[in-house]
Amino acid sequence: MKKIPIEFSINGQKREAFVNPNDLLINILRDDLYLTGTKYGCGIGECGACTVFLNNEPILSCLTLAAAVDGKEITTIEGLAKGNELHPMQIAFLKNAAVQCGFCTPGMILTAVALLKENPSPTEEEIKDYMRGNLCRCTGYVQIVKAIKACAEGGENESI
Amino acid sequence: MNQFKYISSKTIEEVLEILKQEKSEACIVAGCSNVLPYIKDKIISKKLLLDISGIEELNYIKKSEGKLCIGAATTISNLINSKIIREECNILYQAAEEFADPTIRNSATIGGNLADASPAADVAPPLLVLDAVLEVESMDGKREISLKNFFVGPRKTVLHDDEMIVSIKIKDNSINKNGCFIKLGLRQAMAISLATVALILEVEKDKVADVRIAMGSIAPTPLRLIKVEGFLKNKKIDDELIEEAVKRVREEVKPIGDVRASAEYRRYVSGILFKRAFNKLT
Repeated sequence: MKKIPIEFSINGQKREAFVNPNDLLINILRDDLYLTGTKYGCGIGECGACTVFLNNEPILSCLTLAAAVDGKEITTIEGLAKGNELHPMQIAFLKNAAVQCGFCTPGMILTAVALLKENPSPTEEEIKDYMRGNLCRCTGYVQIVKAIKACAEGGENESI
Repeated sequence: MNQFKYISSKTIEEVLEILKQEKSEACIVAGCSNVLPYIKDKIISKKLLLDISGIEELNYIKKSEGKLCIGAATTISNLINSKIIREECNILYQAAEEFADPTIRNSATIGGNLADASPAADVAPPLLVLDAVLEVESMDGKREISLKNFFVGPRKTVLHDDEMIVSIKIKDNSINKNGCFIKLGLRQAMAISLATVALILEVEKDKVADVRIAMGSIAPTPLRLIKVEGFLKNKKIDDELIEEAVKRVREEVKPIGDVRASAEYRRYVSGILFKRAFNKLT
């Protein structure tokens, strides 16, 4: 099948690529751009591990065709920190030990950042509702909710 | 994954021209949240995916000539964020809030959810009670299809191979504001519906002035419960009436058993969901 030329921005940098029509965004990110922070979990939109921002909205990169991101902006977990300075949500996850095995963490953090953009001070119920599609198989949800709440309250330095 | 061609269209005209040539070989996609899993599981095999998500004239929510019009490629997130939907058709807002999760809502579209024609499509029961009409288009012209005549079976609709859904229209009606949607799944969130109910109701002097009931996942298609509606109209609301209606709901649904629930349970719980929704609105 003929490859399709695309242009997109990845973590602020312009890129060009030739992709197969059936290439998934996640494969381009991980295999071609070596941005392996984005994780491949279920592949069918159930787990949220592959969450990235497409034009500043969280979407699932395992259910997005690479060809469909032509002309769009993508942010992955690697693009969240500013140089050596972590994003407040990343600090909140660290300080609140909201990480067990870490596989769900990139997706969790990106979805949580999107939540606070829409709703800067969510209740616990609102956090759980918004994060409903991001699964943690270590079942460490308590710390994750705590971290998001701490970040929303500007207290990302709260310690466990 | 199987190979296919991919075209991102910028105009409706281009989509219609390609559809006319490719017919059932082409599959319209917008969010891809259902189609890609189908292709991965080899449930469908298509020569061409025709992406309409970039077509601006399919992405809007507006009021025009006494109707609320929603572009087919409007995402579920855009429904949630729309003041008009919240105020005029709150039942559709309620269903959108129960729909999957925020990441999928940013991709999945209202037209896609209908065209997919799953018996469990979450936006179908609310749109059925809102008496929604679909505007569909092909190279031969436009036609309107009432949503209640749209579904013919699981994943089957009356849409022709060369037609696409362009918009969803809902006629202004004060009854549309008093609606309740309830979804029952195996979990509280991110679950495929086991049964859903959408109900809108108008009460006058303790009587049912008007009522519309639709349910999902309890028949081969999302279903309007016309017989129960007819039974309830102009009757005085009391416990006896509700119990009789619950019985009739269980008679009118045609559920199957699957991995999520048995047919018997779906039939039973249909009555319960109806009662919960009815009580919430009275």
